[in-house]
Amino acid sequence: MTLAATDTAPHLRLDGLVRHYAGAPAPAVDRVSLGLPRGALLALLGPSGCGKTTTLRMIAGLETPDAGRILVGGRDVTALPPHKRHMGVVFQSYALFPHMTAAGNVAFGLEMQGMPRAERARRAEAALELVGLAALAARKPRQLSGGQQQRVALARALAIEPDLLLLDEPLSALDAKLREGVRDEIRALQQRLGTTTVFVTHDQVEALAMADLVAVMNAGRVEQLAAPEEIFERPATRFVATFVGRAARIRGVLEPGGVLRAEGGAALRAAGAALVGQVEAFLRPHRVRLLGAGEAAPAGIENLLEGTLARRVYTGEVVSLEAQTAAGPVTAEVHASAEGAWREMQPGAPLRLAFRANDLLVFPAQGAAA
Amino acid sequence: MKPTWMLRVFAAIGYAVLMAPAALVLVLSFSAGEYLTFPPPGFSTRWYVALASNGVLMSALGTSAILASVVAAVALLAGGPAAYAIARLEFPGRGVLAALLAAPLLLPTLVLGLALLLVLQPLGLAATWPGLVLGHCLVAIPFAVRIMTTAFAAVPKELEAAAWTLGATPLRAALRITLPNAAPGAIAAGVLTFLVSFDETVISLFLVGPRLSTLPVEMFRYADQSADPLIAALAMSLIAFAFLMVLIVERLMGFSNAMGRN
Repeated sequence: MTLAATDTAPHLRLDGLVRHYAGAPAPAVDRVSLGLPRGALLALLGPSGCGKTTTLRMIAGLETPDAGRILVGGRDVTALPPHKRHMGVVFQSYALFPHMTAAGNVAFGLEMQGMPRAERARRAEAALELVGLAALAARKPRQLSGGQQQRVALARALAIEPDLLLLDEPLSALDAKLREGVRDEIRALQQRLGTTTVFVTHDQVEALAMADLVAVMNAGRVEQLAAPEEIFERPATRFVATFVGRAARIRGVLEPGGVLRAEGGAALRAAGAALVGQVEAFLRPHRVRLLGAGEAAPAGIENLLEGTLARRVYTGEVVSLEAQTAAGPVTAEVHASAEGAWREMQPGAPLRLAFRANDLLVFPAQGAAA
Repeated sequence: MKPTWMLRVFAAIGYAVLMAPAALVLVLSFSAGEYLTFPPPGFSTRWYVALASNGVLMSALGTSAILASVVAAVALLAGGPAAYAIARLEFPGRGVLAALLAAPLLLPTLVLGLALLLVLQPLGLAATWPGLVLGHCLVAIPFAVRIMTTAFAAVPKELEAAAWTLGATPLRAALRITLPNAAPGAIAAGVLTFLVSFDETVISLFLVGPRLSTLPVEMFRYADQSADPLIAALAMSLIAFAFLMVLIVERLMGFSNAMGRN
């Protein structure tokens, strides 16, 4: 397994965490180990039920691991109850206290620390200021919009100056337009304060846009822990390749010497000679170039596929051209503003696609021995 | 589905049957006559005046009011933590505890009253305040537990979890976060246990004495010996009072919610 950032002493360390619910056939979290440097933001990314929220709740102390350790700043906190962990948590439901004002909510953690009233009022105001809500300090949660409630929850978690900030799908309750703005705000705030943060999400764009490190989880395991670019460009497993980003799947046999014989008959150059045998290769649409009629493949691009246009999907910024080829269905992505013959193409029209050998992400075929 | 006219008619008849005694009592309580006769010979408020100057009944009213207040307070203090445990904590025997707490409601109050007398008499607690409080609490606490379990369960667990992460101990989180959000349920439980004690007759019959008697017992005795409309005036006053209390509960959280039926 990839262990990023173990060279600098990690601020948060998970060491073989296991959580197995009674009666469940498989553990919800299965031997999760990772390290996170101080000040970094880690995204736990995965489909629902992959164990990401359970992992977060174990870090917060709201869930007890069956095995493994949690270390924060070198200190083992595994056995500590949540109120002794000093972690700020933003819940998916925000969990604001309905009977308290926004300021009261934010000051609650400071009150629990025994801070004098005047000082905690000042600190609460400062925290609300941080999220741009100082003017609404006297409002009750039900008098605030979803986005405002989310910020109060964030201010409340940050006001105690936590050792670790934990966010459980904090954007999922917001509408799409608001989500992007809040996402960037949270990231900017987190970087400004330097708070080490763990963020749970099922949204890959959110994870890629915000995180320093992404841990892609599946069935309780961490499939890959790496920087966003690496997750996207060099997925470590078949699951990561299919879960993060779109990709066409090409099945075939990889022969010694790096030739991939696709089931459809095409012979393609592919890297990853160690995987000789039955393989599945994944090809991201943005890596596929559409060649004009008679245009030669540019130098250094090893693979050329001919096919016919099956479908065209317009999504505003990009246009996806789905083609039937000798390697199976392959999708090419064209910028919607790009000029070219594709604009006049009707389904059934011939087209030529080019991509590099390195663009094929090759994994052992599912079912075949790894 | 819209109720059909048949259903409306049946509902109207049902309500009429239920409300008829109260309506009758209302009319009789304003009687100008000496006896409980219908229709009354005339109307006056003389029996309300007479009620206010009846020393025995007024003293019993005082006793019942104080008793009901104490019972409500004890039921909340004893039932609240039990309800919290049932609603929130995982522990072996939780279902047994919940069932045990409801058991007194299944026992006929006659049996309960006799049993209490047999136990309290040798201890010298019959016809005393502690004896009455204990007897009433037996029937009041199950109500308090039931209502407050519902109220606690309705407060999202996540609120308490949030309080813990902010440094609150489990006890402080329960008192500062869950309890205030369950307050309407606690008030409803207080009002209803007050009424349960205030109306309790059978157990009281066993436990009262010549110097300490409750209102329902004295009403029972009065109605046994006299046949004047004073008892109707008293009954009407009590109906009005109970109605007011239920109205408060209804406004706070909805009566059926408070009873845990939804």
